[in-house]
Amino acid sequence: MTALLEMRGISKAYGSVQANAGIDLTVTAGSIIGLLGENGSGKSTLMKILFGMLRPDQGAIIFKDAELAPGSPRESLRAGIGMIHQHFTLVNAMTVADNVMLALGDAGFWLDRNGVAERITQLSRSYGLGLDPDTVVENLPLGARQRVEIVKALMRGADLLVLDEPTSILSPPEIEGLIGVMRKLKADGRAIIFITHKLGEVLSVCDEVVVLRDGKVSGRTPVAGATRQGLAHMMVGRTLAEPPQRASRAPGPERLVARNLSARDSAGLARLQDASFSLRGGEVLALAGIDGNGQQELCDTLAGLFPALAGTILLDGTDVTGWSSKTRLTAGLAYIPADRSGTSLVQSMSIADNLALRDVAQEPFSRFGWLDAAGARTLVEQRTRQFGVRMAGSDAAIGTLSGGNQQKVVLAREIGREPGVLIAFQPTWGLDPGATRFVVDTILALRDRGGAVLYISSELDEVLSVGDRIGVICEGRIAGITDRADVDIVRLGLLMAGAQSQAAAA
Amino acid sequence: MTVAAIMPRSPWRGGLAWRVIQSVVWSLVITGILILMAGKNPLVAYQHIVLGAFGSWDRVIVGLNKAAPYMLAGVGVALCFRGNVANMGSEGQIAMGGLAASIVALIGAGALGALVLPAAIVAGIFGGAAWAAIAAAINLWRGVHEVLVTLMMNFIAWLIVAEFLHGPLGEMDAGFPQTPMFDNAAWLPKLVARTDLHIGIVLAVLAAIAAHGVLWHTVIGFRWRLAGASDRASHYAGVSRARSVLGLMITSGVLSGIAGSIEVLGVHYRLIEGFSLGFGFNAIAIALLATLKPLWVIPAALFFAFLETGALSMQRQIGIPSSLVLVIQGLSLIFVLCAVGRGGRKV
Amino acid sequence: MDAALTIDFLSATVRIATPILLAAMGGILIERAGTFAVGLEGMMLSGAFFGVVGAYLSGSIVMGLLAACFGGMLFGAIVAVATTRFDTEHMVTGLAANLLALGFTSFALRTIVGRGQAPVIHIPLLQPLPIPFLADIPVIGTLLFRQPPLTYLAFVAVAAIAVFLRRTRGGLLLTASGENPLAVFAAGTDPIRTRFVALLGGGVLAGLAGAVLSLQQIGTFTDGMTGGRGYMALAAVIVGRWLPLGTLAGCLMFGATEALQLRVQAFNLPVSSYVIQMVPYLAALLVLASLGRTARMPAAIGQPFRRD
Repeated sequence: MTALLEMRGISKAYGSVQANAGIDLTVTAGSIIGLLGENGSGKSTLMKILFGMLRPDQGAIIFKDAELAPGSPRESLRAGIGMIHQHFTLVNAMTVADNVMLALGDAGFWLDRNGVAERITQLSRSYGLGLDPDTVVENLPLGARQRVEIVKALMRGADLLVLDEPTSILSPPEIEGLIGVMRKLKADGRAIIFITHKLGEVLSVCDEVVVLRDGKVSGRTPVAGATRQGLAHMMVGRTLAEPPQRASRAPGPERLVARNLSARDSAGLARLQDASFSLRGGEVLALAGIDGNGQQELCDTLAGLFPALAGTILLDGTDVTGWSSKTRLTAGLAYIPADRSGTSLVQSMSIADNLALRDVAQEPFSRFGWLDAAGARTLVEQRTRQFGVRMAGSDAAIGTLSGGNQQKVVLAREIGREPGVLIAFQPTWGLDPGATRFVVDTILALRDRGGAVLYISSELDEVLSVGDRIGVICEGRIAGITDRADVDIVRLGLLMAGAQSQAAAA
Repeated sequence: MTVAAIMPRSPWRGGLAWRVIQSVVWSLVITGILILMAGKNPLVAYQHIVLGAFGSWDRVIVGLNKAAPYMLAGVGVALCFRGNVANMGSEGQIAMGGLAASIVALIGAGALGALVLPAAIVAGIFGGAAWAAIAAAINLWRGVHEVLVTLMMNFIAWLIVAEFLHGPLGEMDAGFPQTPMFDNAAWLPKLVARTDLHIGIVLAVLAAIAAHGVLWHTVIGFRWRLAGASDRASHYAGVSRARSVLGLMITSGVLSGIAGSIEVLGVHYRLIEGFSLGFGFNAIAIALLATLKPLWVIPAALFFAFLETGALSMQRQIGIPSSLVLVIQGLSLIFVLCAVGRGGRKV
Repeated sequence: MDAALTIDFLSATVRIATPILLAAMGGILIERAGTFAVGLEGMMLSGAFFGVVGAYLSGSIVMGLLAACFGGMLFGAIVAVATTRFDTEHMVTGLAANLLALGFTSFALRTIVGRGQAPVIHIPLLQPLPIPFLADIPVIGTLLFRQPPLTYLAFVAVAAIAVFLRRTRGGLLLTASGENPLAVFAAGTDPIRTRFVALLGGGVLAGLAGAVLSLQQIGTFTDGMTGGRGYMALAAVIVGRWLPLGTLAGCLMFGATEALQLRVQAFNLPVSSYVIQMVPYLAALLVLASLGRTARMPAAIGQPFRRD
């Protein structure tokens, strides 16, 4: 059978980072290919190239026996490639039919609502999409909205559908529904590229699996005969990085305990499910996990910025579950959020102001409600020196500093207060190697002084090199916490890929 | 082909103050062209404006008196916009402040003796603050956009004042809707004896300085600036948006209330219909012209006020309509907004 | 109640509501596309002015109407350029445009048309055009089918906009631009250009609304003659939940309360006329407050669209 799609030797670099390096991918009609890989493996870059949103540096795309013009979403669409993004482009206030008509973009002054509605109903019946063209998108659950995106693609004549991490927002029954739809589409002769990091789903619905790691194809196998271990190895197999020097010490007292934390997001989806862990002084508990598995909710709930639906949080033995973020801060719980530029810092305010951000009502930043610039200055100078912030003056807007220096300001603020417990969420994101090194060393130094650190990152390498104990967060649950010495990479990979989850059985 | 593709790149250069000045200059140029089209000499017109504004001490006093309520209300609006609260309600808050002050001035004249003046001002403060607080409450509690609430309440306030003027407070046989003149004890003291200059301008300048101090040197001001800069960072820092909105609205209401009070207590010595017409919207324009900096509101308010007094005089002298001033003000504002861009609020 | 009085009251309601209605239709286009229509007042005033001046200088009422369209569109364009090209904040830009319109019309009337003074202009009013047969129906005939042309236009506009929004591709794109400009962009159209065009079209309607006042009801131009009707139109759009029929109801409500207020003596109401005038604003606030956070404002209104 001739291939529907052939991507040959695709390479793409962003500066010094090689996002894709000579990737070959073949897809035949009537098949489902799973594209597996962790964050940063190159999956999204490859798909963006396929869909025309990016131009490859090298390589060619042959679709339906014709070379596809690169860098044009319109060309890719016309050729018959449909992409279902993680973030929907739907107008929530309009109906399903209206959204599809919007996307159809054909000429014609008058709308053919009835005609379109009928086609939607037909397609919906053929593929089990369960969509009523007159429902307002706002009233649809996320799984149904995703199927509206699928209908959009189908009605534009897509022969190849690319689904980008479609199950990350779905509940288990919705995942079942989506897999059913995929099977029907395949039976109809269409092809699907299914991007995911979840092994169970791959094994249950794909015909072939391609695993990407560090921008290259690290393995390719038909699903029949593939094992989870094998796939996990292809996904994360590596040698453990050289651990930084650490004095062996007995772990201290329990500082932070989470018991059965549950939380839902604004759409009502469960984001944390019975998450539990215990963190001791003088250790780093590092949690690995693909983005979007509850890390944000975990950090925000622990810090007091997001309400927990159920569960308890104990800080030094005290139940702080109902406490505000400010009181937790005073009790010694510091938090470095992942969003440096928008949440940790205010770009338009000065370096000094950003250092005072969470403590402005206290000395030395203010007294009796009046800001004490002189008193603050001493502290600001001391801290910025201590943490090596390179700046012209503390009154400059923090937006003028480099990313690394900005993060040093965050460290100066959160670690400078000598917290008993630190939550660090992606603290090295977007930083160059030198700055990354500094951040990690600073956090480890806090640990050496007896602090308890919860370190969460989607970079597996980082987690492996930083953690004294290492675990995985997946689908809102925390699992597999083991001492560093006992870490089994493949097992970690399995856990990250949701091997424990109850995704559809094969 | 988008509109953006055919428009020239931004013609503004330089720091903020320089851009504001450029905007004003451009507005004067374009207005000058309009004057030319009308067959008159723009330079002569502008000369008369300047003469009219500064030609004599009497003229200067009129301008200062006019600048005072503009400055007060403008400071309040500038604070609100900085905190990302789009308070369009100074019209109504000024009106309610003036109404409250008038009621106390009329009713308390005999009973309170010399205290009637401070009591009237306090009443004005309460009037403006309460009106603003109601708007804030509707916004926070029911989620109605603050612009809509404050705009609607402007109209309601004007009607309430009209109701009082045509009803219980009105002077019986005046040909014009107004209250009887206030007792001397309720008159705002003069800054310079035997002139018309009342202390309002001093209050206004003090208010601008105080606002600057609060905004830049207090914890509350820090929180207001934070709330205006980033919702996410505010949440992270434990700052409650609701409290900031309420605080800002009430502060602005207080300032507008004082503005309304000094108009009735210092200029007219009575409540007259339409005493506050246009003040509120001018205050918004002034606050934006000042790029939301309380200290810059001082020159901006003076600019607006003297422009107006000068233009009235110009109209009398050479017959060019004083509505010219509105053109200058409107163009200046639009150009400043374009020069600042990016939503205009967060400067 | 006296039948003649009632018909007179309803007639007045329609008459007073007409300019607000036309402006509100323009407001629907502007707001649905994603721009706050605070500048309706200025667009209306400009239309009123250009309408009178156009009719006066050319001697033709048709030229006057075209000029009114231009006048409204001019201020629509000012707001459009500022908000789309320079990314200014919508509401204060609207306020600035209103301020500018007030000054410009007043100034231009006296200098460019008159000679330093407000010229005395009398334009013969647009006369009622009875529609044959329909005008003879009792009650309804007088009310609906003996109206001047711009009133018919206003009601036709309600239907036209309803059809446009619901049944044409342009209407779909316009609505989507105000709800999720990214979706419009993904569909291949520039949402910013859509907003720009909507502002121009809305400006034309608002300009015609001004012409209702100056060419159909009063016959001349006086400073600030729109008197806040542009803001009323905005309120009507919001109370009407950005839908043509709902907005029509809102405008009629405004018209009715003002008609009532003018006839307070005739109807022997114990309430002061000012309190009655407050009713529409209080009603608007009440409706908005009860809708609360579910008020279905176009989701992306007021937000600039960055394509990256």
